[in-house]
Amino acid sequence: MAIVEGALELQEISVDRGGARVLDGVSVRVSPGEIVAVIGPNGAGKSTLLEAAIAVVPLAHGRVLVNGRATRSLAERARAIGFLAAEAEPAGEVRVGRLLEEPGPDPAWARELEARLRLGPLRSARAATLSRGERRRLLLYEALARARPFLLLDEPTGVFDPLQLVDVVALFRAVADRGTGLLVTVHQMSDAEALRSRIVILNRGRSIAEGPLEALRERVGLGAGAPLHDVFVALLREEKAHAPA
Amino acid sequence: MLRRELAIVLAARITWLSAAAAALLVGHGFVLAVDLFTAGSRSALSNALMSREFDPLLGIVRPTLGGLYLATSLFGPLIGARAIAIEKDRRTFAARLLAVGSAGRFLASKGVAALAGTALPWLGAVALLESWRLVGGHLAVGETAVALFGHLLYAAFVTAVGLAAGALARGFAQAATGALLAIAFTWAIDAAEGFSALAWLGGAAAWSPSTHLRPFEQGTFDLAATGWLVGATLGALVFAWAGCRFDWHGRRRAGALVGSSLVFVLAAGGLRSLTGAWDLSELRRHSLPPAAAAELRRLPERPRLVVNLDREDSRRRQLESDALARLRLARPDLAVRFPPDERRAPEAIERDDGYGRLTVFVGERSRETTSISRRELTTIIFELAGRPLPDWSAPEYPGYPLVVEGGRRRMVLAVSYLALPLLFLFLGVALTTGRRRLT
Repeated sequence: MAIVEGALELQEISVDRGGARVLDGVSVRVSPGEIVAVIGPNGAGKSTLLEAAIAVVPLAHGRVLVNGRATRSLAERARAIGFLAAEAEPAGEVRVGRLLEEPGPDPAWARELEARLRLGPLRSARAATLSRGERRRLLLYEALARARPFLLLDEPTGVFDPLQLVDVVALFRAVADRGTGLLVTVHQMSDAEALRSRIVILNRGRSIAEGPLEALRERVGLGAGAPLHDVFVALLREEKAHAPA
Repeated sequence: MLRRELAIVLAARITWLSAAAAALLVGHGFVLAVDLFTAGSRSALSNALMSREFDPLLGIVRPTLGGLYLATSLFGPLIGARAIAIEKDRRTFAARLLAVGSAGRFLASKGVAALAGTALPWLGAVALLESWRLVGGHLAVGETAVALFGHLLYAAFVTAVGLAAGALARGFAQAATGALLAIAFTWAIDAAEGFSALAWLGGAAAWSPSTHLRPFEQGTFDLAATGWLVGATLGALVFAWAGCRFDWHGRRRAGALVGSSLVFVLAAGGLRSLTGAWDLSELRRHSLPPAAAAELRRLPERPRLVVNLDREDSRRRQLESDALARLRLARPDLAVRFPPDERRAPEAIERDDGYGRLTVFVGERSRETTSISRRELTTIIFELAGRPLPDWSAPEYPGYPLVVEGGRRRMVLAVSYLALPLLFLFLGVALTTGRRRLT
């Protein structure tokens, strides 16, 4: 894989857990301003891929490059990457206003985020008293306000209703337009479709397809307008057919 | 960042419930101390000689701080462990570290916030001692401040142990268990010292925080004790720092933990070897008489003692807490050897003919004695140095007996069992109420 300047590259990432290989040679590249959605069935290794990118789990093989350089220290990773875990919860004891006041590099962007995520009216509430969707919006604020070059978001859309999802997807687009590269794992096919991003499909720890939705449709012989769900099922069947007995 | 961390600690119910329970423990120790002091004072008030024995540092401050020691040991590890482990339970640990960008800064803000929570019972103890003054009791500021300072250092140590457990464990439950076990281990060290069958473990007493709290509770600011508590706290923080490095795995993590252990041993052990102590007790009553202490300091040769007494021997305890402590205040370089501590095999425990003897050396001259009296030992040192014993007179400590009864006792009871615990509970409710308020 050629090294791309300015990109986040996960090269040939393999991870072992409990003696089993849960990620096997997965490579993903995220360029600045790009959204890459990782989808796959439960246990495919989506969350592990993100954890491997920030070194929460040790790599059995592979490397993580930022701007063509391997990230070795916590400080290097911290400068380049922001992270939001799938089941993260905000600091419930703290009032939303206090969490919104944490310094970010761009106050104007922080104010825009607060407005887009509709957090202003929640300022005096404690985070623990918020609804699930509100808590997720608060966590998204915390992750996005720091404006790191790359953001790894593990299932950030799962709790939103369709109307909220439209806003969040628009927000992700705005984040990407600011030059941030987003690597997002998505459980719902409709969410991944809404992101209109490049898609990486994982199955049993391996990457089985990668590309824009149109290219994936073409690969499995489905026509324009075929939902991602159908493409996904067709790709899984294709992989199963080619898998060794 | 610090305000966020302070909010996580001080707006948590566990912090205030712990503080209220700790206030009850400390308050109970205070009430028992006041009642005992009162009982003794009734007869002492009519006898000037007896009244000298009524030392508020010994009779009021130490028992109150005993309750504080228990409360800090039980609740401090939970506050410290939670400060970090809560991020793991909330799945925000890695995200927070990436947001902060430095394990050191992350740990510093967590540590300050956790210490604020752990120190709440300490503030309760200060309030109780102030109530002693309000009912007419006497407290000397210097000696009380030193005793409180020692316990603040202990709170920092306990907090650091909790932080280390929080950083190394997978979640709060595991961290709390680990931190409490670590503190219980120091209690085991204290307990082991009392068993002659385990005398070979006696040296471990130097690794118990309570050993190093003793000088503070006597109104002595001791550099070695301060050094141990500071070094052990730093060592525990290094463990916590290594635990925060979520990006270290396998051998690197194991290496970091081994390195942390070394830092702990070297920091605590190294700083313990600092010499120097200052008697800040009222009238410097824990020192030798002023003239003797001044003359002892001027001796060109370093005095040495060889003490043939076992650890569990009450005479040795008396010697260490009285004569040796006073001699060391005057001569921090005093060298003391205990041959019974150096035996290795159990059969060597049998006491030989030389048991109970002390040998005093000054330069090439030496003399044996069986006395553990500070005056006798000081006299021998001066005789060996070829000098007369200086003036042995010292200012007379008057003692401060006080009978606390009637309305004043009711006030002590109300403050200890009601006001202070309820104040912590009230503050807790005010700061942690989770009603949703929208702007």
